[in-house]
Amino acid sequence: MIEFKDITKSFTNGALKTDVLKGLSFNIDEGEFVAIMATSGTGKTTLLNILGCLMKASSGSYLFECRDIETLNDDQLSEIRNKKMGFVFQSFNLLEKTSAIDNVLLPLVYSDIYPSDAEKKASQLLESVGLKDRINYKPGELSGGQQQRVAIARALINDPAFILADEPTGNLDAVSAKEIMEIFKSLHSHGRTIIMVTHDINIARHAARIIYLKDGSVEKEEVLK
Amino acid sequence: MKIVRIVGVSVSAIFKHKVRTFLIVLAIMVGVATITVIMALTRGANKKIMQRINNFGPDAIMIHSGGGKMEGPSTASEANLTKKDIADIQNIDGVKLVTPFQVALDMPVKYGNKFTTSWVWGVKSDWKDAWKRGASKGDFISDSDNEQLSKVCVIGQTAAKDLFGDGNPIGESILLENTFFKVIGILEKRGQAPVGADFDNLIVIPFTTASRRLMNQPLYIAMARAIATNPSNVKKVAGQIREVLRANHHLADTEEDDFRITSPVEIAKMVKSTSRTLNNFLWIVGIISPLVGGIVLMNIMLMAVSERKKEIGLRRAVGAKKKHIIFQFLAESLMLAFSGGIFGAITGVFVAIALAHSGKPVIITWQPFASAFIFSAAIGLFFGIYPARKAASLDPASALTQQ
Repeated sequence: MIEFKDITKSFTNGALKTDVLKGLSFNIDEGEFVAIMATSGTGKTTLLNILGCLMKASSGSYLFECRDIETLNDDQLSEIRNKKMGFVFQSFNLLEKTSAIDNVLLPLVYSDIYPSDAEKKASQLLESVGLKDRINYKPGELSGGQQQRVAIARALINDPAFILADEPTGNLDAVSAKEIMEIFKSLHSHGRTIIMVTHDINIARHAARIIYLKDGSVEKEEVLK
Repeated sequence: MKIVRIVGVSVSAIFKHKVRTFLIVLAIMVGVATITVIMALTRGANKKIMQRINNFGPDAIMIHSGGGKMEGPSTASEANLTKKDIADIQNIDGVKLVTPFQVALDMPVKYGNKFTTSWVWGVKSDWKDAWKRGASKGDFISDSDNEQLSKVCVIGQTAAKDLFGDGNPIGESILLENTFFKVIGILEKRGQAPVGADFDNLIVIPFTTASRRLMNQPLYIAMARAIATNPSNVKKVAGQIREVLRANHHLADTEEDDFRITSPVEIAKMVKSTSRTLNNFLWIVGIISPLVGGIVLMNIMLMAVSERKKEIGLRRAVGAKKKHIIFQFLAESLMLAFSGGIFGAITGVFVAIALAHSGKPVIITWQPFASAFIFSAAIGLFFGIYPARKAASLDPASALTQQ
């Protein structure tokens, strides 16, 4: 489903040119639960932005469902993010002063089709992540773990091709972190594709495969299950 | 509909950021209210000018004795127009009629123990045609009154009220200086004269009586009023009258006029010039004020954009296109500007009504609402597009990581 081939990315700041990604290649298939393991400063965020179509690579090719992402324009990328991707961020990124259910419905605001049962679907998703009685709570009234579960429900509202999670447990205590990982595992067992970027090997070990990143290229891969 | 959903996002943002909403609406409101008040004042002032011209007579030309730039009527003591002048003016093509009259200002008038001062004019019978103003009650000065040097008068309503209160003046005798005059009629109401005096504080008597008895001016005539056959020719006829008078008065080219000619053109100029400075100032304020409102809007929207970078990044991440972000922020600006415009028009109308009560000439029409609509739309669009574009041009990846 995802084919990364010799992806490089460099940033120029004045005369200073920094190569962050130096020829990155890997494949991810449908239904996989992959952890991309990278310590901070090894291009983790950059990789995530490229994977999430928020940024384009400097060279190389990124094939997603057989489409060359590098050739698409801003609107087309927006559409792919809207239809095919579900983001889960380290800091949850919920809209404040907005109820859980409205947060879940956010991607549908920009969708061409707004299903008539959208609200029902959103509350079912919130129920499935254990927030049945909190659908009208605002982020400020929810714990970190609960906020992240709202974010996961939001990532699922569009039935995306894959979920892209960026340190999803980075801001959570151990108990909440475990709960979130259980949700991911359960989603995986139901056939969802999950790509998780993390620096925490203990979190990465929840995935079925780990891609180790070092100095902007793939160091090794490890299949766990 | 996607567009409705995005407008929904804008509406909820307006309600979620109450202080910001209040500040923008207030700023636009002040601007639009200012424009509304100034429009009402300007229209009121224009109406007043039109009224004065109509009071003066759009087809009338006034001829005053004595030169200079003085305003107001010339009195019998400064009279220098001759009977020949009047006859020559009558012969000018385009002059329908010309009527001479003598003028005394602030003459003491007595009735019993009541006392007032009033303008006293000596007039011929066609004065009523030239001024389109006759007796509303009783009779006007007739030709035979003039032939017989009758001591009769027709009095204006202010003078009548001052001397007789609610009583009937007709048939009574009043004392002008040392001579008794019998009241034979009441003048039609006229209101303010172009120079601002009360035109109802006026007593008219026969021209001959005024010239020979009251004002001691048997030779010369203080003033005359000519009526042009066609109001659009007034300026040309006034020029011809001037030539006739200069020739009659044997004025050399280097000498200035020893008379003054006033036509509606001059009246309009006169009234306008007194209010021009103030009007210009008002219009500058009126243009600056909404501009400041727009700058406030832009300023606050720019702040909103940088405060909400993370939100914008998130929206982009979940699939908002650039145009959706532009639309969201522009819709916010427009709705805020519109609310400001509506409140501003309402406030402006209330202020205009208050000004009208304090005696300022004011005209209130539906136009403030139309102009509020146009102004606020223009402000919202013009000052809202830049922040909206700025929001849309944010790099989604870096906007997301904003703290």
